[in-house]
Amino acid sequence: MAEETLVLFKNIRNPKYDKSLAAYKKSGGFKSLKKVFGMKPEEVVQEVKESGIRGRGGAGFPTGLKWSFMAKGTGKPSYLVANADESEPGTCKDRELMLKDPHMFLEGLMIGCYAIGCHHGYVYVRGEYFPSIKSLNAAVDELYADGLLGADPLGSGFNLDITIHTGAGAYICGEESALLDSLEGKRGHPRVKPPFPAVSGFNGCPTSVNNVETLACMPFILGDNGVEAFKSFGPQNNSGTHLVSLSGHVNRPGVYELRMDVNMKDIIYEYGGGIRNGKKLKGVIPGGSSSPVMTADEVDVLYNFDDLAKKGTMMGSAAMMVFDEDTDVVKLLHRITRFYAHESCGQCTPCREGTHWSRQIVRDFLNGNGSDEKLQRLNRVGGNMMGTTLCALGDAAAMPIQSFVKKFPEEFRKYYATV
Amino acid sequence: MFSKDIQTQVDKLLSRYPIRQNALIPILHLAQKENEGWLSEDWMQHVADICEVPLTHVEGVVTFYTMFRLKPPGKYHLQVCTCVPCCLVGGTELLEHTEKKLDIHAGHTTDDGVFSIEEMECIGACSFAPAIIVNEDYHEQVTPEEMDKMIDELRQ
Amino acid sequence: MPVFHIDGEPVEYEPGEKVLSAALRCGKIIPHYCYHPGMSVVATCRMCLVDVVDLGNGRPAPKLQTACSMDAAEGMKVETLNPKVEEGRKLVNEFLLVNHPLDCPICDQSGECTLQDYAFEYGSGKSEMDYSKRVNGWRDIGTFVALERNRCIQCSRCDRFTREITGTNEFGMFNRGHELTIDTYADRPMTNKFQGNMADICPVGAITEKEFRFKRRVWKLKKNRSICTGCSTGCNVTIEHDRNEVFRLKPHENQNVNKWWLCDEGRLTYRLMNERKTRIHQPLGRVDGKLEGVSWEEAYAAIAERVADMSPLPEEVLALTDTHASNEELFLLQKLLKDVFSTDNTFCPLPKWEQSESEFFINTLITTDKTPNRAGALALKIKGDAKSAKLKKAIEAELKVVFVLGNPFEAEVEVLEKIKKAQLVVHLGTFHNSWSEIADVVLPGQYYSEKEGTFVNKNQRVQATEIAVHALRRTRPEWRILADLSAALGQQSSYGSSADVFNAMTEQLKAFSGLSYAEICRVGKELRQQTKDSGMKVVKAQT
Repeated sequence: MAEETLVLFKNIRNPKYDKSLAAYKKSGGFKSLKKVFGMKPEEVVQEVKESGIRGRGGAGFPTGLKWSFMAKGTGKPSYLVANADESEPGTCKDRELMLKDPHMFLEGLMIGCYAIGCHHGYVYVRGEYFPSIKSLNAAVDELYADGLLGADPLGSGFNLDITIHTGAGAYICGEESALLDSLEGKRGHPRVKPPFPAVSGFNGCPTSVNNVETLACMPFILGDNGVEAFKSFGPQNNSGTHLVSLSGHVNRPGVYELRMDVNMKDIIYEYGGGIRNGKKLKGVIPGGSSSPVMTADEVDVLYNFDDLAKKGTMMGSAAMMVFDEDTDVVKLLHRITRFYAHESCGQCTPCREGTHWSRQIVRDFLNGNGSDEKLQRLNRVGGNMMGTTLCALGDAAAMPIQSFVKKFPEEFRKYYATV
Repeated sequence: MFSKDIQTQVDKLLSRYPIRQNALIPILHLAQKENEGWLSEDWMQHVADICEVPLTHVEGVVTFYTMFRLKPPGKYHLQVCTCVPCCLVGGTELLEHTEKKLDIHAGHTTDDGVFSIEEMECIGACSFAPAIIVNEDYHEQVTPEEMDKMIDELRQ
Repeated sequence: MPVFHIDGEPVEYEPGEKVLSAALRCGKIIPHYCYHPGMSVVATCRMCLVDVVDLGNGRPAPKLQTACSMDAAEGMKVETLNPKVEEGRKLVNEFLLVNHPLDCPICDQSGECTLQDYAFEYGSGKSEMDYSKRVNGWRDIGTFVALERNRCIQCSRCDRFTREITGTNEFGMFNRGHELTIDTYADRPMTNKFQGNMADICPVGAITEKEFRFKRRVWKLKKNRSICTGCSTGCNVTIEHDRNEVFRLKPHENQNVNKWWLCDEGRLTYRLMNERKTRIHQPLGRVDGKLEGVSWEEAYAAIAERVADMSPLPEEVLALTDTHASNEELFLLQKLLKDVFSTDNTFCPLPKWEQSESEFFINTLITTDKTPNRAGALALKIKGDAKSAKLKKAIEAELKVVFVLGNPFEAEVEVLEKIKKAQLVVHLGTFHNSWSEIADVVLPGQYYSEKEGTFVNKNQRVQATEIAVHALRRTRPEWRILADLSAALGQQSSYGSSADVFNAMTEQLKAFSGLSYAEICRVGKELRQQTKDSGMKVVKAQT
């Protein structure tokens, strides 16, 4: 099996590691935090900028830049909220981090808090992640007991609290402004932007929302020679290692930590051990269910933000769903449209009506009532959701529809009505 | 209405947020736990009072999130994921198998009140599909046979 | 003020103002559903998409923007009519229609429904929706409005109304996605006193006024500006009527008075505009102890004759009025007594009243003073006090002639008993009441919807009503009756209209000086010299 590059998983891949605070410290944990406490917050943000790390939640926005946008001098407290509402179908990487090495992520969160001047960090964990929630709560208790959280950790004079907040089942709460509404105790409706969370976020205060994996990279980046090392793991603009959730028809599904210059073909055939039962590859959904699908012919590409964007798709949350030649693509699309129809918050028109309508059309195909006209209509309904909604869920629902129709038109023809 | 132990947790939660409303969702989880897995109007009103929000606000929140239930679930709540990765490797078949085995559809509870089934959207165990959650425990790469065995064991 | 451009035309904006708000202020039409100037911006209907071809920095916006949430900026160039925008509106409207029932023929909103208007403008005329539509059904949500959820387009105005405007929180959003409904939870009835506004702000027929349901198609309604006379707030309204029957009152926006709102009680005052049973239909005179129909000339002549016979002393003459009367009527009544009888014995009831105080503006619209012109009576210095002590003293005299305007002191039996003994009681009014029963001459007046008049509201603002419906054939407006009486009693009187009377007031009375009738008809204006009302008490509004 091909080798992983272990930064985030360096402890997790160690069979003897027991995720306790003591074990984490023994592995070099909290050295970076100590170093950070000796730096000025601006210097921390600068180092994060230099590392080139881009958010791992899906959008790939540069983290350092995000932190530098935080409104200053508002007289209000600043907040850092870790987005652990991992719900993009195919994605299960943050769960691994929180479940198996919570301290690395928490140290990253603490570094982030210091960098943006936040004295109370929140972790918004999706409610279904019961084991991860237990693991995080236990870890936070350990940190308080050890004095790493609370008043004056490590003699820094920087008081810091962390609270684990549980969501309650809503994909849309992964969108940062909906997440903040939910954290405030409301329905998770995405907000009108501007103002962006960096100006008016949690309870109207400046807030940064960062993905768990992004924060978990911080101890490494702020460690000795971390910035340079981090940059060396991938091509320009795509620095660092990242966690790839590989699922579907491969022999070895799993979460792999990879450099950003690994070819997608290798991920499927080397890391994933190839397609199950000796079948042939039909296609891959490369970055969570909302990313445009790729056919078997297109997978010879480096798996990172920019190379996938050049191919007209996206890396998103690095969740690869592989499917073999026997897969019924229309059924697969039906499952995807069902997901978006179920998860649309419903507040804005194109998404509320479009996700449901497109699901109805795909189901019509499955009932054997397809036609050219309906295929065009499906494509049009998808396209009409694109770019017209308040948040990105409309786009997320539209991209799979349009890409499936474009790349597998013959599959839909199988479901045309026979006159 | 909360038991003493849970009330302590409620108070602790309230102390962790700048305003009481922020603690609404975690407190609703506790209320649901106290009320055998679902939320009645009395409980929603109680939580509304604690968090100082109108009852309609709580009802809006409860109907928004899938984890809050407005009717009692079974003693063992089987949450079967059929979302994209699970569906690729047998999640749908697993759900159908479970429905047949218990003779109920997803969204319903067996007559004896022991089992209920819920069809889930992605539960975030994609690389270990098909996965299910039984009450609060994840079970991964579940085959129909394992499901049968688990149901039989739980029933005893 | 800084300037940006909409379709090439310069538009001024306040710093921080949104494109849609500035556009609407300047009379530019940009289709929208969820935006309402009185409530927070949610930008969810997506109908107000515009093309920002220049953000003010030379660069265009990457995609269509919602005008309601877009900050206007110096030098910004917005296009609202190009093909890209048309396409955007078409697609949003199509999405709204896929689940909207095609029940315009039985929908009361039809004719004033923005969804209908925009469907006409942007719809394709042919549905591509082949599947069954969403069905949510009727809800009975209270006394004043009905909710048909199938018609709802989830704009959330009603939800924001109960949260932000009334603070009563009866409405909420429930479920999500395609299933999202906005209503009261589980059929709970609403309790707020402003439900009618929810029907007004609902852009479609989801919320309609029960009182108006199935009564008349809205395009048949003619509209006239007026003010609500249900209390001393003087909310601006339009009286909507057809074939001389009034069907409803709707609020008319006036930021200085009622903003966009009107209370339910005020809306129901339209009923009295159609009341015929208790109306006084023609002049009446007491003949052999019984009231009988007479002509106007007979009535005036009889009064003049009796007065001449009695030639009463000043203290033997009295006038009573309620504060429902307009300024012109009060003025002429007062003038009649002064000019003909040399007395200022004109009295009105001035009981104590309560003004609501609340963090929610709308609650302050409700007062306990259910008359529209108390402040006018005070400005005109009509005599009165909280306990009617002055009046009670005046009626101790041997009364010969008493004029009664409207229905004053209705609860005070001893006043009625005393006045009954006067030799000549003349009642001017629209409805039969205990005064018309004891009167010797009854002169039929006209209701607010039938005549012109100005009123001073609780905040000293002078506002006017206009003629909406034809009055009963044999009635006359009270100002004219009073002018006629004055002439019959030997005075020169040359008022051709209510406006003439008002203009005379502005010349003769300091309080009313400097006011222009035209301006008062348009938006109203505060009195220059204001009278403090010692009978007012501020109380916290109940929610």
